[in-house]
Amino acid sequence: MDADSDVALDILITNVVCVFRTRCHLNLRKIALEGANVIYKRDVGKVLMKLRKPRITATIWSSGKIICTGATSEEEAKFGARRLARSLQKLGFQVIFTDFKVVNVLAVCNMPFEIRLPEFTKNNRPHASYEPELHPAVCYRIKSLRATLQIFSTGSITVTEMRPFLHRWSLGWPWDLC
Amino acid sequence: MTGRVCRGCGGTDIELDAARGDAVCTGCGSVLEDNIIVSEVQFVENSGGGSSAVGQFVSLDGAGKTPTLGGGFHVNLGKESRAQTLQNGRRQIHHLGNQLQLNQHCLDTAFNFFKMAVSKHLTRGRKMAHVIAACLYLVCRTEGTPHMLLDLSDLLQVNVYVLGKTFLLLARELCINAPAIDPCLYIPRFAHLLEFGEKNHEVSMTALRLLQRMKRDWMHTGRRPSGLCGAALLVAARMHDFRRTVKEVISVVKVCESTLRKRLTEFEDTPTSQLTVDEFMKIDLEEECDPPSYTAGQRKLRMKELEQVLSKQLEEVEGEISSYQDAIEIELENSRPKAKGALASLTKDGSVEDTASSLFGEEDAEDEELEAAASHLNKDFYRELLGSGNPGSSEAEGSPEAGSRPPALESLLGPLPTAASLGISDSIRECISSQSRDPNASGDGELDLSGIDDLEIDRYILNEAEARVKAELWMRENAEYLREQREKEARIAKEKELGIYKEHKPKKSCKRREPIQASTAGEAIEKMLEQKKISSKINYSVLRDLNSKGGGLQREDVRPEDRASARKLSRRKTPASRSGADPVASVGKRLRPMVSTQPAKKVAVGEALLPSSPLAGAEPARPAVVVVESGPVSYHPEEEPEEEDPDEEDGEPCVSALQMMGGNDYGCDGDDDDGY
Repeated sequence: MDADSDVALDILITNVVCVFRTRCHLNLRKIALEGANVIYKRDVGKVLMKLRKPRITATIWSSGKIICTGATSEEEAKFGARRLARSLQKLGFQVIFTDFKVVNVLAVCNMPFEIRLPEFTKNNRPHASYEPELHPAVCYRIKSLRATLQIFSTGSITVTEMRPFLHRWSLGWPWDLC
Repeated sequence: MTGRVCRGCGGTDIELDAARGDAVCTGCGSVLEDNIIVSEVQFVENSGGGSSAVGQFVSLDGAGKTPTLGGGFHVNLGKESRAQTLQNGRRQIHHLGNQLQLNQHCLDTAFNFFKMAVSKHLTRGRKMAHVIAACLYLVCRTEGTPHMLLDLSDLLQVNVYVLGKTFLLLARELCINAPAIDPCLYIPRFAHLLEFGEKNHEVSMTALRLLQRMKRDWMHTGRRPSGLCGAALLVAARMHDFRRTVKEVISVVKVCESTLRKRLTEFEDTPTSQLTVDEFMKIDLEEECDPPSYTAGQRKLRMKELEQVLSKQLEEVEGEISSYQDAIEIELENSRPKAKGALASLTKDGSVEDTASSLFGEEDAEDEELEAAASHLNKDFYRELLGSGNPGSSEAEGSPEAGSRPPALESLLGPLPTAASLGISDSIRECISSQSRDPNASGDGELDLSGIDDLEIDRYILNEAEARVKAELWMRENAEYLREQREKEARIAKEKELGIYKEHKPKKSCKRREPIQASTAGEAIEKMLEQKKISSKINYSVLRDLNSKGGGLQREDVRPEDRASARKLSRRKTPASRSGADPVASVGKRLRPMVSTQPAKKVAVGEALLPSSPLAGAEPARPAVVVVESGPVSYHPEEEPEEEDPDEEDGEPCVSALQMMGGNDYGCDGDDDDGY
């Protein structure tokens, strides 16, 4: 059963996490004083900067490593990261935009039916693991795609994976299995 | 027997003599092998006349001392460690298992799991206690005993999720499929704890039926089985006229009260709850329900739809109201006396947003929030103007407030502090009026600027006044943390002054000390002593006096750092302190560390490294020191330089070094205590 043909399943990407380096030392204090939307966490040594246009939150370390979360697509993540680098440039740091990498993509999907978790785990023994004492969902790991699916009994599924474009494929799995 | 061919004659008839361990060719008589290793059992005669077999028992766990032929000292050590790990693990498993009342078979199985885990190196980097708990829980699951992960975490006082993580990893690595937990397993255990007396069995059966019903109604997926059990038992108890309160049940079942209530309400929603007790025992309803979270989700969707419909209606109603408002406004304006002057023009303006735009020139702000803030600011401005201005226009003050304010703005803004809105309007003005700067591409070819709106980015950068305000705010917010840091620094500075400063590094693993390279034993001991820390609870002067005749003028080729460690071994170290020119000066150097109450090694080393210290300085220090130290033994520094016994010296180090090593352990502990 093809996932997309029969029923219109909307797969929403809710979060894209990416990292990049600026290859220069950043003075957190300066960023904290002069940036408009920043939170300075001195005890852990990082600065949180939030942009509005692509709604992203970036964690900036003084070594120059920056983690960007909250974007809704990969292009947006890259765009947001570039904006961030641009604003750091304007603050006066010699920023070089390198090593951009998308680290994690989170997508949510809703199945129109409920799923019986105990039987599901029994049928998919090595991949699925279900611990009702710990978490209400079944954790299904696909090693080949390096993806993790969390399957809830209401039919909603969250997919977390490294490579961004494989949602459809990974969602085809539960259709075959349920 | 293996069909070998004789080298001499080529014959295949070879005789193996097991007793002598020979292989001889019967054709030509040449000996092919000597000292064959045989696997026969040999018997030896005892003193009592009986015979016993030769050999040793080697246990399965590999704890025997297997003598390896030739090399293998390294291998032997590895085996020992593994055996030790297994033994330790076995002990802990038994200890925990007995607390959980597991039978021997379960404990053995758990030990097998543990062995597998060790062989796969899963114990590396994990606390042994976690691994053991995971093994035990695995056994509980496979055997189906009513033990929860929560019980284990209670015993170990460890977070249950941490244990769960270890458990999941173990199950995955060992490829053991733990069967899913059935809540029915827990019923007998909890029922027993709730003490139903003779009716225990009936209540359990009722609870089991309830659970099965819950399963059919999809209440059990994704829920903690203990919560379901609790709910089922509570209802079952009530059905059989036992009064068990919610509190009792939750103390047994270990869930929260709200969880229990929620389960009960969910059960209430199912049609089964409508049956009476007898009906329930007899009839089983056919239809199944949806899981409660699913129904909750549906309900939310419905609520949202309702809200949308409502909001649409609200808008219509609002539209009507605003039209009424406009009408009233017009009437009022017509009826009220005209205000004169500039104020009049201001009050005559209809909507506030138009004035905002006229004030700021072109409206460049994209966000309507900023717009709203600006207009709110202007409204305040107006209000002040009107209030402080013409008293005759007090009526006018009243009406614009009531009238010209569109309702949406009011709901948007509410209590906005004027300072903030002022700040924002400043930056808006700056953004609008300033020209866009050239993109700063100094030496950075890699940043692709396409699609980046510089103007907006400029807005992210505050100007000076704002930076100051923000710095103040941040300081106020993090005042606690900053204060702590300052106190800490003050404390460290004070300690430094007193010379008792001890650096408390965050827990780093001990650096491996380089192996001491020394040519003689004495040198090695000295180096070791200087590396190891020395206790500060010892009155060194007294110690020195005990071996008091040992201080002499003899010089020894000892490194100056040894003076630091000299304090403990009084006599032995007196020659050590004599390096360089001045014996007395070195005495003074030794004494100087004594001044501080807890001579830190660093201080002493620092001092020791000063090769030349003025003698004069040493002299007055000495009597002062003498006064300070009120030991039981009177200290005569004059005697010091005379005494030295080189012969005893050689013998001494060996003994006292040993003492040092033995005593140093205490010393180290003492040091740790003192350093708080």
